[in-house]
Amino acid sequence: MGFSEKIKKDFTTTVMVLMAVAIVINIAAGQLVSMLKLPIFLDSIGTVLVGIMAGPWAGGLTGLLTNLIWGMISSPVAAAFSPVAMAIGIAAGLCAKYGLFRTWWLAIISGVIITFFNAVVAVPIKLYLFGGITGSGADFITSYMLALGKGLFGSVVISVFTSNLIDKVVTAVLSWGIVKALPERTAGRLPRVNAVTLKN
Amino acid sequence: MHPRASYPTLFIPGDSWLHRIHPFNKLCYILLTGVSAYLLPGEWLKDIVLLLINLGFLLSAGIFKSAWKLIWKTMLPLVLFMIPIHGILYPGNHTLLISLQWFHLYREGLLFACNTLLHLLILLVASLLFVFTTLPADLISTISQTAGSPVLAYLIGSPLLLLPAMRERIVTIQSAQQSRGLDTQGNFLKRCYGLFPLLIPLVLGSLIEIEQRSVALELRGFKSEHPKTFVRKVSDSRLQKRVRQLMLVLTICIIGYRVVG
Repeated sequence: MGFSEKIKKDFTTTVMVLMAVAIVINIAAGQLVSMLKLPIFLDSIGTVLVGIMAGPWAGGLTGLLTNLIWGMISSPVAAAFSPVAMAIGIAAGLCAKYGLFRTWWLAIISGVIITFFNAVVAVPIKLYLFGGITGSGADFITSYMLALGKGLFGSVVISVFTSNLIDKVVTAVLSWGIVKALPERTAGRLPRVNAVTLKN
Repeated sequence: MHPRASYPTLFIPGDSWLHRIHPFNKLCYILLTGVSAYLLPGEWLKDIVLLLINLGFLLSAGIFKSAWKLIWKTMLPLVLFMIPIHGILYPGNHTLLISLQWFHLYREGLLFACNTLLHLLILLVASLLFVFTTLPADLISTISQTAGSPVLAYLIGSPLLLLPAMRERIVTIQSAQQSRGLDTQGNFLKRCYGLFPLLIPLVLGSLIEIEQRSVALELRGFKSEHPKTFVRKVSDSRLQKRVRQLMLVLTICIIGYRVVG
């Protein structure tokens, strides 16, 4: 099967609708859990869900579009980080493809891998576009590392990794649970939903 | 039909020349501005000229006041964090400017911070030119007409329409779970447990809906290969096409210049 055929097989109408809904979940989930005042944003849970259920390409596109749409509704700064969201979707899709979403503890490992992908793309953007500072809580970690005598690059790497690790692990585990809880009727329409079950 | 009222974006209704320009031209302009700000040589003077041009565009489109508010809201936290952090801690700091006991402000870090802020400001203003003057419906129809991708158009348009309904659902879920005794003020662990009753109804509820939605789309012939007609037509003159191509060529030239030079 050729590359473009593979993509076409993944992009059914159901997957397209799933992606649109996932984009809205990404934007809305953070607002929903904000009342719990936890140090997590969950702004990529939809992206990870699509990555698991429809593959890395659909996941990547979901992430990219989420941040672009975010740029249109709140502030263009979010759009600058759209490649990061895309990396998260691709990473989640690849993890699922290689069986790293089969159990809850494998999902934790996936969360760490996603954090790593996230950092690989986020660090250059933060560094070159924003000079390492984005006006958020993570800047305290960056400045603490700078004060300890680390270089700007090292400081940004540490701050990106630490400020995302918990969020991405929680996102991955929650996504695993959600896909597992999907009713057969919905799950049957999605191409890769088996990624969360033990036997394949 | 009131398409303007139903989109939750930053769009400001108006009838300036910028509102009438093809959305892709504005997107190309963001690209060109960004590439010029970051890759062209000529430090401060070039940046200030670019900023003035963009501010001039904002003024001429009559969206300066709303843009001003958003610029402040976006840039103020960046300024507050960036100036002290880089002024004090930037690794390349040598030249002392101000020194008060433990507080040392350096020239290099301050210049670095100002330069980064200026670049960001240019990019922000250029994107606001697009966001404030592009009706989402226009953007969506150009994606499916000019770019020929109804799938992409759906993926951008549908979330914008779904979002207000989803926001209502969030409020419903929050109050429903609170009335059942969800603990939002307790200790950390209790609040962590609160994640599930809040998130699961939202996500599962919307995922279950996708079946109906996709059946509805298929019934309406979304994936049909037949040529389609459009209700909204966005004007795309020959001049606009030329300008668009010119901007793309310039962008590529600047990138090429930087890669080679």
